[in-house]
Amino acid sequence: MRRLVFIAVLIATLPLPIAGQELRLPNKPGSVKFAVIGDTGTGDRNQVAIANELASWRTRYPYEFVVMMGDNLYGGENPKDFDKKFGTPYKPILGAGVKFYAALGNHDDAALQRNYKPFNMNGERFYSFKPQGGVRFFALDSNYVDKAQLDWLEKELTASGSEWKIMFFHHPLYSSGETHGSAELQRGLLEPVFLKHGVNVVLSGHEHFYERIKPQKGIAYFIIGSSAKLRKGDLAKSELTAYGNDSEYAFMLMEIAGDELFFQTINQSGKTIDTGSIKRVGKVDPTPARTAQPVVPQAKPSPVQPGPRQSK
Amino acid sequence: MKVSRLLIVAALTASCSHEATSDRSDYKANEPAPAVSTTGEATTPTPAPPSAEIRAAKLATTPIADEAKASAVNPNAAVIQDFKTRVDAYMKLRKEAVKGAPPLKETKDPAKIKAAQDAMQTQIRAANVNAKHGDVFTPEIIATFRRLLYPELKGDDGHDARAIIKDDAPTNVPFKVNAKYPEGAPVPTVPANLLVNLPTLPEPLQFRIIEKHLILVDEDADVIVDYALNIIK
Repeated sequence: MRRLVFIAVLIATLPLPIAGQELRLPNKPGSVKFAVIGDTGTGDRNQVAIANELASWRTRYPYEFVVMMGDNLYGGENPKDFDKKFGTPYKPILGAGVKFYAALGNHDDAALQRNYKPFNMNGERFYSFKPQGGVRFFALDSNYVDKAQLDWLEKELTASGSEWKIMFFHHPLYSSGETHGSAELQRGLLEPVFLKHGVNVVLSGHEHFYERIKPQKGIAYFIIGSSAKLRKGDLAKSELTAYGNDSEYAFMLMEIAGDELFFQTINQSGKTIDTGSIKRVGKVDPTPARTAQPVVPQAKPSPVQPGPRQSK
Repeated sequence: MKVSRLLIVAALTASCSHEATSDRSDYKANEPAPAVSTTGEATTPTPAPPSAEIRAAKLATTPIADEAKASAVNPNAAVIQDFKTRVDAYMKLRKEAVKGAPPLKETKDPAKIKAAQDAMQTQIRAANVNAKHGDVFTPEIIATFRRLLYPELKGDDGHDARAIIKDDAPTNVPFKVNAKYPEGAPVPTVPANLLVNLPTLPEPLQFRIIEKHLILVDEDADVIVDYALNIIK
């Protein structure tokens, strides 16, 4: 009888970690598939652990590119550092033809990194790219939000007819971090431009944890700065927080299929810690004069995954 | 963000931007010219301030040069023009210095990028070997910059700006003209509200704030062009 109970307990518990490692994205043909990492450039075992998971998950989910939230190389930036802190950890993915697109963090040497071809920055501090399927990504340099960058952003967004507009840069405009918190001065300059042009999603790092922010003025914000560094206990859950995790290293997988963006956040053990989707309401009107936000992201838990547990 | 900031930025940009014209004949003739005191505060009555978002949106999206056309009075213009002239002199020297150096261009080989940066740095430092403190930041320019920044260092925005300056601040930056910016040191984030009150710089020059001090850095070459101590009160 005791043995039967033991087996029953085993059966009940074993599927849980397996279930946590299931792909929660639709993985539709023709969708835009990508990964998100942030604050990666340590070259240590934590970066390698996440890099290994990234490579492992690609066998199940063939994402085409990775966006990096900055702090791509901590400390020295000699040629061997580029290898140790980028080339070696991501070698399997790079070898498979996955492209990386980097934003600059406050620990990055801009002159070196923007000219490093594998970062695909085209020699610029800020740039945009359009993979396919009506999506455009904009990489900003949040270290130095000057007039030149704001003018460029205004021009790019005005000219963009993309249906999805995704920003990524280092400093989070909204954050519940105790160490840094929200980058309110950058927000004061950038958010009005985002709202004016119907930006849908903003991805950032800087904070060494994961936080999904409740949509702010119709824009979805994610912080993913824990892909190699972790600041345990730094996430002070606030009214901004939809979900947060400051106890595990993490990266994100994302998929844009039509009017829906799906996300899955995964820890260093390959376990899913957050998942959901953002539904666009209506089509984006590319008219530059538009001031209303036409897209209302509505992050919701995946029906597969129960509501995520709050780490703090 | 204050209305006065818009006026200051507009005036600064008009006098310092390469694109802005110095020919004031195209100013809107019927536009009232707001008087700006030396502290940067508008002295003429101003309409009720717009919301923070609208102000920020305007700052972020309005062609500043156009706004500059509306400003007929700018007591800082001469000093800012002097700053621009000094920056241009550095850029001219720099352009000559890097002739023949391997170009800093995109490649998959970081050794080539590093070699190009090092060569550029060496040649610029050699060409600028006689540079001295104050070549760019004269006492008048420092005083003007202090006045421009001072309003932004008060209140909530000022508190945020000071916090950002302390955030991951490098501790080993030498306050020495023509010195190397230390390799591997964090790049201090320049508070956006301070940056918009300073003149626009040509690439690859950038302002950086270290503690209470302002430095002018050639970002491509990682060379400190000049510095201004205690720019932040």
